[in-house]
Amino acid sequence: MGVKAKLYPKEAARLLREKPGVREAVTGATLHFEQGRKKAYGEIDAEAWRERAKRVKDHLLSHLDHYLELAEKRLREKGVQVHWAEGPEEAHRILREVVARHGVKRAVKAKSMLTEELGVNPLLESLGVEVYETDLGEYLIQLLGEPPSHIVGPAIHLALSEIQRLFHGRFGTPLDASPEALAAVARKVLREAFLTAELGISGANFLVAETGTLALMENEGNIRLSTSLPRVHVAFVGIEKLLPRLADLALFLPLTARAATGQRLSTYVSLIQGPSREEEEGPKEVHVVLVDHGRTTLLHDPEAWEVLRCLRCGACLNACPVYRQTGGHPYGYVYSGPIGAVLDPGLLGLEDTYPLPYASTLCGACYEACPVKIPIPKLLLTWRNRAVERGLAPTWEKGAIKAFSQVMQSPSLYRLFSKALRGLPLPQDLLPLLKAWTEGRGPLKPSPKPFHELWQELEE
Amino acid sequence: MDTRSRILSRIRQALRERPRALLPEHPHPALSQDPLELFLKRLAENGAEGHLLDEEGVRRLLANLAQGLAGAAYGKGVPAAFRLLPELPPEEAPLGVSRALFAVAETGTVALSSEDGRKAQLLPPVHLVLVGEEKVYPSLLEAFLDLKSLPSALGLHSGPSKSADIGQVMVKGVHGPGRLVVAVLQGTW
Repeated sequence: MGVKAKLYPKEAARLLREKPGVREAVTGATLHFEQGRKKAYGEIDAEAWRERAKRVKDHLLSHLDHYLELAEKRLREKGVQVHWAEGPEEAHRILREVVARHGVKRAVKAKSMLTEELGVNPLLESLGVEVYETDLGEYLIQLLGEPPSHIVGPAIHLALSEIQRLFHGRFGTPLDASPEALAAVARKVLREAFLTAELGISGANFLVAETGTLALMENEGNIRLSTSLPRVHVAFVGIEKLLPRLADLALFLPLTARAATGQRLSTYVSLIQGPSREEEEGPKEVHVVLVDHGRTTLLHDPEAWEVLRCLRCGACLNACPVYRQTGGHPYGYVYSGPIGAVLDPGLLGLEDTYPLPYASTLCGACYEACPVKIPIPKLLLTWRNRAVERGLAPTWEKGAIKAFSQVMQSPSLYRLFSKALRGLPLPQDLLPLLKAWTEGRGPLKPSPKPFHELWQELEE
Repeated sequence: MDTRSRILSRIRQALRERPRALLPEHPHPALSQDPLELFLKRLAENGAEGHLLDEEGVRRLLANLAQGLAGAAYGKGVPAAFRLLPELPPEEAPLGVSRALFAVAETGTVALSSEDGRKAQLLPPVHLVLVGEEKVYPSLLEAFLDLKSLPSALGLHSGPSKSADIGQVMVKGVHGPGRLVVAVLQGTW
């Protein structure tokens, strides 16, 4: 997938103009996910779970070399073929060899963000391999030729009517076919693909170093089928996806499910230890490709490395008021929303991803949602500071950001400034910076009382 | 230098000045509820059907499920006493019957081993899982801490296959079974 992050404001504006239905579909879906997450967090001591998960991930990341070597050893002991890849080029070479050796004509794919990063589908297509995305949402966007717009729900930007039109054109189903009827058609097509594919491709939610276990979470059963029916299974795993111990899954599987969809556990979890044994159903050959693609650069970064804790649950997208307006496409890369705004600059460089760190109101909802406590608002400011330092952002911003962060970090300064702002008459025409805002709106009128006072009154 | 050494050496360089974080111990939660009771409750909340039965009860449940069916696909661990229907290949069978390695109460989960066979667990539209009552762990943590050896693949199933990818409407039986029935067997088995 090409990186189009630089176009963010234009793309966002265009989408809102040309496809107004997207806002409704995305807002509806994300609010639903967000309510689920809140309810699921409410059932547990969420703060304690998040803190423990953060600490396990920090331990893992600060001993990453050790755990990668341990995972590799355990995987090899179980008969898994382990490969390492810097990025797309090497990943493609590994996959090309597997395709050639097994004469692969058809592949079934489990949803995986890393394979989006690596451009696995275009490669397979160029080799003449028929690729089926088997997650229902991912299958829909594959039929439409679109990239995923959400980490967990890749097709949440599509209204039912669009899917009905798509299936009508493609499979001749009635224009008012029910979701059940549409799903039944997809099931039929994909069941045939599962039973005839020579190759199954997946990512991994986790790779347990202690046991060499690949852990994959889903609700549909397509991942279990993709990793069970074809003769060969290739899993692409980002090097940050490791966990130290098998029992750590008892924390991370339910925590990820709660954060992502509000479930106590996803309907299906596959824990894969290697190729099937004698007289057993399942793939005879399993490959694990450990992929860097920018992750070691992030690990080097004294501030931005914390983003490597990310579990790809999508909770921060669902919590984000900015993401809800347009969905993921305008962000222009695989990872969208708040996590994309801090992960993409780390993986691809700030030059290619500016102005994504500005795609946020800094409201902090993403941090509250994050199951591993990634300080996304802090990291957004880190990237904004760097943008100013590297001359990517307008120069006036340098002073403004510095002043802003000083004020925001000191409660007494914050009170002083907000009081001053409320008391002073705002010279509207002297604020050219606000031109874009004031053009379409009335003059700015500060509230007579600060928010925390209003909130207190409300509570009373 | 090959890719592996390059990646590992970059990691070591990155970690040279990084403080090493300690690995937290696993917690020791005590479940206040009876695990069997909680398991059946969670199964229902997950959209599955759970029954606590003796051997005769399981045979009655099977006979009930088998009505009008031509056959079933069986996991290897399913005892002959519970193979009431003629065996069919999983691709054609209207019912799959398997025997779980263990179950987990807090999440309403049955754990299915690849040694039992995977197709019968995934392809038929209805899936009946048998599990001994002494195999029901209170929590996932206790189950994982107790696992001595792992099969080539372990599937944790916590309800029927489902998706809300089409217009945010929940549809069951998308790729896997749309109906999951769990029979917890009383007594040792």
